[in-house]
Amino acid sequence: MSNGIFRQLVLRAIRTDYLNNLSGFAWLILQPLMLLAVYAFVFSTIFKARIPGLEPSAFVPFLAIAFWPWTAFSESVLKASQVVTANAALIGKVSFRTELLPLSAVTATFLMHMVGYAAVLIVLRLMGTEIDWFGLLPALVVLAVLYAFAVALALFFSALHVFIRDLGQMLPPLMTFWFFMSPILYSPALLPDHLASLMELNPMTWFVGRLREFLMLGGYTPALSDALIPAVVIILCFLGFRFFRRMSGHFEDFL
Amino acid sequence: MNEYKQRRPGELLVALEGVSKIYPRVNRPGERLRAFFSLLRGQEPKDGALVLDDVSLEVRSGESLGIIGENGAGKSTLLKILTGVISPSRGQVAGQARMAALLELGAGFQPDFSGLDNVRMKGALLGMSPGEINRKLDDILAFADIGEYIHEPVKHYSSGMVVRLGFAVVTASQPELLITDEVLAVGDESFQKKCVRWIEGFLESGNTLLMVSHSMYLVQKLCHKAIWIEQGKTREYGDVFDVTQSYLAFHEARSATEKDNREKAGGEAGLYRLESFCFANELEGTEKILEWGDSLEAELVLHSPDGRPPAALVGIIRADGTPVYGVASEVEGATPRALGDGKFAISIRFDELPLLPGNYAMRGHAMDPEGMRLCDTLELRFRVRGVSRELGYVRLKHHWLSGQETTGE
Repeated sequence: MSNGIFRQLVLRAIRTDYLNNLSGFAWLILQPLMLLAVYAFVFSTIFKARIPGLEPSAFVPFLAIAFWPWTAFSESVLKASQVVTANAALIGKVSFRTELLPLSAVTATFLMHMVGYAAVLIVLRLMGTEIDWFGLLPALVVLAVLYAFAVALALFFSALHVFIRDLGQMLPPLMTFWFFMSPILYSPALLPDHLASLMELNPMTWFVGRLREFLMLGGYTPALSDALIPAVVIILCFLGFRFFRRMSGHFEDFL
Repeated sequence: MNEYKQRRPGELLVALEGVSKIYPRVNRPGERLRAFFSLLRGQEPKDGALVLDDVSLEVRSGESLGIIGENGAGKSTLLKILTGVISPSRGQVAGQARMAALLELGAGFQPDFSGLDNVRMKGALLGMSPGEINRKLDDILAFADIGEYIHEPVKHYSSGMVVRLGFAVVTASQPELLITDEVLAVGDESFQKKCVRWIEGFLESGNTLLMVSHSMYLVQKLCHKAIWIEQGKTREYGDVFDVTQSYLAFHEARSATEKDNREKAGGEAGLYRLESFCFANELEGTEKILEWGDSLEAELVLHSPDGRPPAALVGIIRADGTPVYGVASEVEGATPRALGDGKFAISIRFDELPLLPGNYAMRGHAMDPEGMRLCDTLELRFRVRGVSRELGYVRLKHHWLSGQETTGE
């Protein structure tokens, strides 16, 4: 019975966020595209950033492959963290599984950005970048884990936001910090050893690295993190769900 | 098609046991944070508003329960706990069926979307699949009866139209447990009637109703049981007629006290006194409970300072002070018998008292022998039990006449 609600919530989120105006869908692609252009210009033209072992022209695909999933991830977590407070009118009045709210927000945002990601991959191929289409399958698994990671964080943050409203101001700069601390704009190979090992602790390093290996760079070697990170994400999802359920009975007191 | 499995009548749907709800004080961010941390530790809020205090009740399949009480008594909070929208601070909620129940018919409507889009959303919230909604769309639109407005954004609707649409979706979703929180009050007369008719059919097919209402008429009409919540506590829980009657009596008595206080000031402690006034075969001071159509007998012992027999006046009033009937012994030529020592006694008997169920009081008065001055007053309370949908205070003898046939009373 919650399938219907989930579907409606996802459709509603897509409609209000992306399809409410005619150009909404175009902006969905244009906005990250423009950001990508800005980063590409600043880093590859002004800062002369290079990826070790790659042509200078490979910087844009190198960035794009990591940038879209990151955008989907950070945008869905930020959006979903507000979703319980935004639907305050619904929560005290209708009895339904409230965890569907963050879940549908993440799903809607991810779905929309994955459409953009597919478009970008095709454009990159047409522009001459070698995209490893066989790597698409493992890449999808990585994206699924990334989605689950976003769901876990969204469950925590959306429940917390009800009690700690400051989270709404805290999260965006933290996300920006996380963006620059992750090897999205640069390769971890550029870092000195002690920083590179520190960066291994950032789960985003694994997501970004694996996506690049599967889709573009090749040279994948199995590692412990391939089992560890999905396992940790599943545990986080479970804990987030438990936390959300425990708190959801008290939402109405604080909204 | 009904998506829920059919339940046996009498199956327990929800049971509350000693449930209390404290709304924490969350006006300032600091309080918010403190309340949150006490929640994390599993403690109940230290200070806050106690809205429900130790309420226990059961809802079984096929029942209809009315929740009555004054504004702010905790009725809506009780519904929210029953439906699982909020958790209680103390106590147990058992067998909590996460049923699609609405506390507000307009809830879940997105003002910018059209009525049709909102019907889909609302249907989904009520547990309907997209296919089911499509199948029932015509029924929904027919029930709501708002015409072409269905394609307009809901923000252009009147509050009545929102309720119409909301209720129409509810009827199509065939819920097992219908919960209404004073929602029927918004629609116009004909739509209200339509809803009440629908609810009656809904109950006849063995479904369950929980209803908050200030209309005792509706509660009596639709519910079998009632719970009276007063300041977060259960004041009375049981048969709907018993509970609504004592609820009404409570309010009647309250408005009567105000009136009485004014009247008493003018009362005259005269020479002729009423020594005692009691129902036959009853102890003085206890409330008498009569069954519908019982007879009622009361005895007055009067005191006269000059040896002349005083006159007795007996009246029956509704608990709110509305006079129903009154008669003086002097008018009908009855004289109290002398008991000696200046005392006189007289009894009055009403055979087959035609009073409708409710709370009443019988007042006995001592008057001077001429029946001119009212000297003393005592009051006895009694209650007429029974089930009746008649209106007013007494049943008047009547016949219905239709065509040639004459039917009995």
